[in-house]
Amino acid sequence: MSDHLTGTTFEERAAEQLVKPFQRQAIPNAVDGTVGHYWKRFEGYDRAGLRRLGRDIRAHAVANLPELVGRFADTCEAAGTQVHFAADAAEANRIVTGICQAAEARLVVKSKSMLSEELELNPVLEREGIDVVETDLGEYVVQLDGDRPSHVIAPIIHKTQGEVRELFSRVAGHELGASAQELTSFARAQLRASFLRADVGITGCNFAIAETGTVVLVTNEGNGRLATSLPRVHVALVGVERIVPRLADLGVLVPLLAGSGTGQPISTYLSLVSGPRRAGEPDGPEQMHVVLVDGGRSAILGTGYQDVLHCIRCGACQNVCPVYRQVGGHAYGWVYGGPIGAVLTPLFKPTAEGMEVAHASSLCAACDDICPVEIPLHDLLLDLRRDRAERRLPGRLERLAYQAWSYAWSTPLGYRLSGTLGLAPLRLVARSGVLRRAPGPLGRWTRGRDLLLPWRRR
Amino acid sequence: MERTAFLARLGGARPGPALPDVTALPDVHTELRAGEDPFTRFAAELADVSGTCEQCSPDAVPAAVVAALGAARAVALADDLAAFTGPVREALAAAGLEPVAYAEVAADRERLGALEATVTGCAVAVASTGSIMTTAGAGRAAALIAPLHVCVVAAGQLVGGLAEALQRMPAGSMAALQSGPSRTADIEKTLILGMHGPGATHVILADRPLPEFLDPSPETA
Repeated sequence: MSDHLTGTTFEERAAEQLVKPFQRQAIPNAVDGTVGHYWKRFEGYDRAGLRRLGRDIRAHAVANLPELVGRFADTCEAAGTQVHFAADAAEANRIVTGICQAAEARLVVKSKSMLSEELELNPVLEREGIDVVETDLGEYVVQLDGDRPSHVIAPIIHKTQGEVRELFSRVAGHELGASAQELTSFARAQLRASFLRADVGITGCNFAIAETGTVVLVTNEGNGRLATSLPRVHVALVGVERIVPRLADLGVLVPLLAGSGTGQPISTYLSLVSGPRRAGEPDGPEQMHVVLVDGGRSAILGTGYQDVLHCIRCGACQNVCPVYRQVGGHAYGWVYGGPIGAVLTPLFKPTAEGMEVAHASSLCAACDDICPVEIPLHDLLLDLRRDRAERRLPGRLERLAYQAWSYAWSTPLGYRLSGTLGLAPLRLVARSGVLRRAPGPLGRWTRGRDLLLPWRRR
Repeated sequence: MERTAFLARLGGARPGPALPDVTALPDVHTELRAGEDPFTRFAAELADVSGTCEQCSPDAVPAAVVAALGAARAVALADDLAAFTGPVREALAAAGLEPVAYAEVAADRERLGALEATVTGCAVAVASTGSIMTTAGAGRAAALIAPLHVCVVAAGQLVGGLAEALQRMPAGSMAALQSGPSRTADIEKTLILGMHGPGATHVILADRPLPEFLDPSPETA
């Protein structure tokens, strides 16, 4: 995992995304449906009570990781699962590669895992001569196209049906029909063949149950279930913060995740995997491995940002974010987009480039309102900006300017005076209070919109 | 990394709240409300996710399975059908079908891939979500390897909500809830059924136990 992201600024990436007319329509269209379903799902029910329980379960778990992760490792081992501990991406990738090589694996099927995107696992396996096939339909498209997912739940929300058709036709070697049904059938046949041949199945983990040593997978397509049924070896990548104390906690977290993620009452498939195949069972893997990954999480514990580890990766904050809805996931430059990405990226990639993403927000706090586990995302964004400002050590002139501003706006007179003086030159060039092209640094504002000057006090 | 060193890194968190009691949940859509009829809710939720179901007397179950299988010829029976195994097998034979046992084909990738339908029992069915729970005992892939899945639910297996279903999670290496056919909406949000799992699912619920049937009640963990 390199600390280098894309080598571009957020503004540059956003500008690149904003000229894609399909995406700018597709994201609001798609997510508005999801948001609508979300509110319908909780209508007439005690959403507030459920959220509070969800928050407390997650907050309790994250505050007690040594005990709970230890218990999870014990219960896993008691069920015959081999447990590995990885401090960072390099170690996690080494462990997974080792498991695949020991199994003499030539083909790996993967079900969707955001953690594996963090680890950049696929190229590592491919360098070792191991074929990796993503089996979530969206992830499969992204993989074939050398692209990146742009939404945690809907990876190809930015792609048109036409683009998918073109891509699949190239793979098929002939022109495929245009309907979503036909394209999906093509992918099913391709992926089914991979499932039946694969040696290893790699999955993520939505929740890891300490009490029972269970890896919980939430999918709609059923690929998580096939990846844990057919191959000889199952490897589950588990971020340490995925831990949940009790099986019964799923009674709270599953409706929160399914409701917030897609507006469904429950996901189509909910798999509870507790170890490799046992005696008397007709199928299932001979080996199960759990790779517990820190990957920057422990550094967040004990800081003011600890609450971000409560996240259950539902994507609801992206769906309601006015910035995400315009620029899409790729503008955020790393694995996660939207408010959760604007918080996680600076924490996991604390370079100048990573830190900048904390500014990709209007601070409207819609994300706070919808987060199913009450993460105060917009407070965290403000804190990150403060940290960045402190770290950047602004020059004397900049500090002087801010001090003057602060001083001027501390008194009614100063406030009024600064307004009159500041607006006077703009009023000279404005027509009926509207500026189409503003001078100086304000020009960046008018590049995309008009500047409306405030009304004069009468 | 060594376990001890790894766990040591995870210390130092700010303290969190006490673990809340979840034995009594707030009013949530995955639990049944007082007075709600379980089967009515089950049928409505399942229909909402494009699954189908019917309720019948236990001795009508075998005929219902035959009808649900339609034109499928390559059929596998999972061995969690308990007391229904014999009667279902007989009914299928009478209809000219020769079902294989899922356990027999599970290791044979070619035959597994060629299955047109599977018939399984379940450990528990959930009224509030229209879900059934199948187990590794029946076969992890048994419920989703074929384009059609038919599930037989015995009397007493239908519970109200998700919380009770979790309490009744059977022993074994895997248990999985599924609610209707496999689905995806990745391509421009168009809903397509049968992405990886079955494109059609049918659930047959027996409305009461029959004295001559052994009660296939779920083993509890």
